Amino acid sequence: MDRIRTLLSRFAALFGKKKLDADLDEELRAHIDLAIHENLKRGMSPSEARTAALRDFGGVTQIMETYRLRRGVPFLQQMTRNVRFAFRQLRKSPGFTITSVLTLALGIGAVTSVFSVVNAVLLKPLAFRDSDRLVVMREAMEEPGSERSVEPDNYLHYLRLKKETGTLADAAIFMQRGMSVSTPGDHPRIVGSVVTSPNIFRVLGVQPMLGRDFVDADAAKGAPNVVLLNYEGWQAFFGGDPKVIGQALRVGGDPAIVIGVLPPGMRFPRIELAPNIAVGPPLETMMYAPLTPSEWDLTADTGNFNYAAIARLKAGVTVEQASAELETLQNAYTVSARLPIHLGIALAPLASDVTSGISGALWLMFAAVGGVLLIACVNLANLQLARAVSAERETAVRAALGASKGQLVMARLTESLMLALVGGVAGAALAFIGVQLLLVLAPSNLPRLNEIEVSLPVLLFAVTLSLAAALVFGILPALRSLDVHPQAALQANSSRTVNSREGSRTRSVLVAGQVACTVVLLIVTLLVLRSFSRMLRQDRGFDSSHVTVAQVDLFSPEFADKLPNVSAVKLAFTDRSLTALQQLPGVQSVTVTSAMPLTGETWVDELKRPDHPLPEAQRPLINLRWINQDYLAVMQIPLVAGRNLTAADRANPYVALISERTAREAFPGENPIGRKISDIVPDDVHSVTVIGVVADTRINGLKDTAAMVYIPYWAYTPWTLSFLVRSSQASDALIPEMRQALWAIDPQVAIPSLRSMDEQLSDSVSTERFQVVVLTSFGAAALLLALLGVYGVMAYSVSLRQQEFGVRIALGSGKAALMRLVLRQAAYPVILGAGAGLMLAFVLLRWVRSLLYETPVLDPLAIGGSLLLLLAAAALAAVLPARRAALTDPMRALRTE
Amino acid sequence: MGGDKSDVLQGTLDLMVLKTLESMGPLHGYGIARRIEQVSGNSLSLNQGTIYPALLRLLQRGWIKAEWGLSETNRRAKFYTLTKIGRKQMEQETENWERIAGTMARFLAQSN
Repeated sequence: MDRIRTLLSRFAALFGKKKLDADLDEELRAHIDLAIHENLKRGMSPSEARTAALRDFGGVTQIMETYRLRRGVPFLQQMTRNVRFAFRQLRKSPGFTITSVLTLALGIGAVTSVFSVVNAVLLKPLAFRDSDRLVVMREAMEEPGSERSVEPDNYLHYLRLKKETGTLADAAIFMQRGMSVSTPGDHPRIVGSVVTSPNIFRVLGVQPMLGRDFVDADAAKGAPNVVLLNYEGWQAFFGGDPKVIGQALRVGGDPAIVIGVLPPGMRFPRIELAPNIAVGPPLETMMYAPLTPSEWDLTADTGNFNYAAIARLKAGVTVEQASAELETLQNAYTVSARLPIHLGIALAPLASDVTSGISGALWLMFAAVGGVLLIACVNLANLQLARAVSAERETAVRAALGASKGQLVMARLTESLMLALVGGVAGAALAFIGVQLLLVLAPSNLPRLNEIEVSLPVLLFAVTLSLAAALVFGILPALRSLDVHPQAALQANSSRTVNSREGSRTRSVLVAGQVACTVVLLIVTLLVLRSFSRMLRQDRGFDSSHVTVAQVDLFSPEFADKLPNVSAVKLAFTDRSLTALQQLPGVQSVTVTSAMPLTGETWVDELKRPDHPLPEAQRPLINLRWINQDYLAVMQIPLVAGRNLTAADRANPYVALISERTAREAFPGENPIGRKISDIVPDDVHSVTVIGVVADTRINGLKDTAAMVYIPYWAYTPWTLSFLVRSSQASDALIPEMRQALWAIDPQVAIPSLRSMDEQLSDSVSTERFQVVVLTSFGAAALLLALLGVYGVMAYSVSLRQQEFGVRIALGSGKAALMRLVLRQAAYPVILGAGAGLMLAFVLLRWVRSLLYETPVLDPLAIGGSLLLLLAAAALAAVLPARRAALTDPMRALRTE
Repeated sequence: MGGDKSDVLQGTLDLMVLKTLESMGPLHGYGIARRIEQVSGNSLSLNQGTIYPALLRLLQRGWIKAEWGLSETNRRAKFYTLTKIGRKQMEQETENWERIAGTMARFLAQSN
């Protein structure tokens, strides 16, 4: 209590110092006066009385000084003095100040922006209770001789594991999909939905904000349809109406009652079913429906790996312990149930599973932007060093007057701290813009995208970062002030003597370090650029230009799969749509396929050959697509062998085209034409006959070709269709016409996506493009900074050596020789730094490998190109100062001595 | 700064100031210094000036308060008064001091 009061009173004393000083003065004067008065009364002479009074008082100055020190906060007052001094110094050199603040603001702004992405996506815990105990549970399959593969979950296996486990507190199984949702009188929308076991929110630890949670009875067969909405879904469909509970939505055409609304901030993570199976187009989850297990779910023990599962570990149980236990359970079941497959388990912490696809790229970006800031700091350190040299006299005077070492260092460091804080504040402000920029660039499937913001932790990070930056670029110059010998410094009459060899060596080492960082960054940038251009420029096997694609989902009541004639209805809709689209102006050809191109693997199935049965795990996996005879023409895919589909196949639609890769993998060394494929049409009755082989395409994603099987939609029409239109008309004009044509046929179908194929293609590489754009800008910034760094150091060194150059010229040295001299001086740190950078790159590049597409990390073009770029920049930076050295006027240089 | 006279411990000086203010009522710095000199019978010498940092310390803790007033010679001077907290603290400190002094006295007596 006394301490606090004392502290408060000390801080209070920081203000109104003049009055307090006057007070003290007056008080002490009164003391002396009173003493003199008393002494006089005792009979002393006036001068004796005064002397005695002062003697009894003791040293007035000392007392006042002690008093003042106790009154205020000496450390703070010292700081204030330092800050005032630094401020004056900075105002004297506005060029330096502005350069430094701008460099720092940009650097800190960039790092902070990237950090806010890293923080939101990778660091911030998910908004679930004890989210570190949540794991994604997938099954694994092992076959002797082949690799262990990770698979989605089987419903029966989930039920059994949940019953037998001792390490999991609970587990929920679910399916993420788009569902058609409409409010009366509106076209339906496709909404991200989770069809889940009713315990999902108990597993996650989330409670509805309105209404109630699912109960187990909601999933029972014949229970009324109910749904829960996300906060966003509540806003979208009911405008945030608080009386939403009990109201109905049409989901897939059927009414469903809203029983609850989840709180804002509850965002369901996108869980990939398995490493190579995407969950479909990136739709933000808005709705939850209970999962009622089908007959198949409750009986299929070997197929039906169709679900994702999230489990909550019991408190104190590690992921490894749970994995070990579940693996044992799966192995035991494999043996006891005599399964033809060997089951295992694959657990992954939820947070890292959600970001597994992007974390490498994000960390790389973060490292790159950190590198840029480091390079910027080195530039500032060099500038500060130069300033410290010219301030040596000043430092010497302070040291001679008795300033302590700590005070000397602080006096110089204060300047750096001030620059960094101003730069940091400006940088944090810039980060708000930077984050918006990153959000524009960021791929829409970036997990947790909507959580990215400049939050308090991000701002704290910016402050810490600026302080760290100040230390990085301020500490060397500050420590140099300790080496100042007052006598030598004060005797020296020009800066020449003080500019010791040591100082220039420090600067050269800094430049070398900067160059090394830049080389690494440039190599990484060029590698990523090469990888991206390779991905874009390779042969895709199809032509996306002039093609517009409309995705249509058939989820209205007339398509309900309970209806006996649903197949005919779907077929009729598809036929009518193809005809209608064909009649739009400018349309050359129209076709249909069952999956939106470039959205990853979908409808993955095993290829079974009745003439050549294989054990389950050895059957090749293929992507199944339902098309018509115009697919090859619209996509411009060449036929390699056999024949294309024809309209005549409609009578007997059980025929298939396969891609070359499927031919290689399923019919190695054989002629596939005429062979049969069984169990592929959902009716489970018909086999299909291969009639043709078509060229491979990268239709699922540019990274790889896909093993495809194409069957005409006359054999089976799926509920999700993509109409592809090749037209001379621009997509922009075509899109509204296509929408109108489709809704004219059925206003109750949903059109979740309608865009040009080129746009779809460009979006499919948005993650890579994001990485390329960001890294390239960081690489360019690094190069520019390195250029400035080399230039700054050389220019400064040349300016200090003017007299020397003057003498050399006077003694007959040629201009070329002088230029060589300066260039050689510049070459040392640059070449040293480049060498160090190369070595560093060899060590670091293995972390980049996984981010590259068909590009070796030791790509000679990337490495050679980076070195060339850097050397060219360094040469450019050194030539200007070298020219100035060569143009030194000997008379003027000597006269200034 | 007589070398042969004992230096005054900080806490002791504080207590002396408090006690002086308690017995004399509001008093200026000079008065306090003189009073301490008189009471101690010149057995301890302190520069009168040392009283001021001590007064500041007590002010900061809130044990005393200060006001400008007029001295007996009609000179403007700062007068110090004991506060309520100060009075309580003084009683506590006095007790402490007496205990220590008693202990010390017994200790010294025994070792004689």
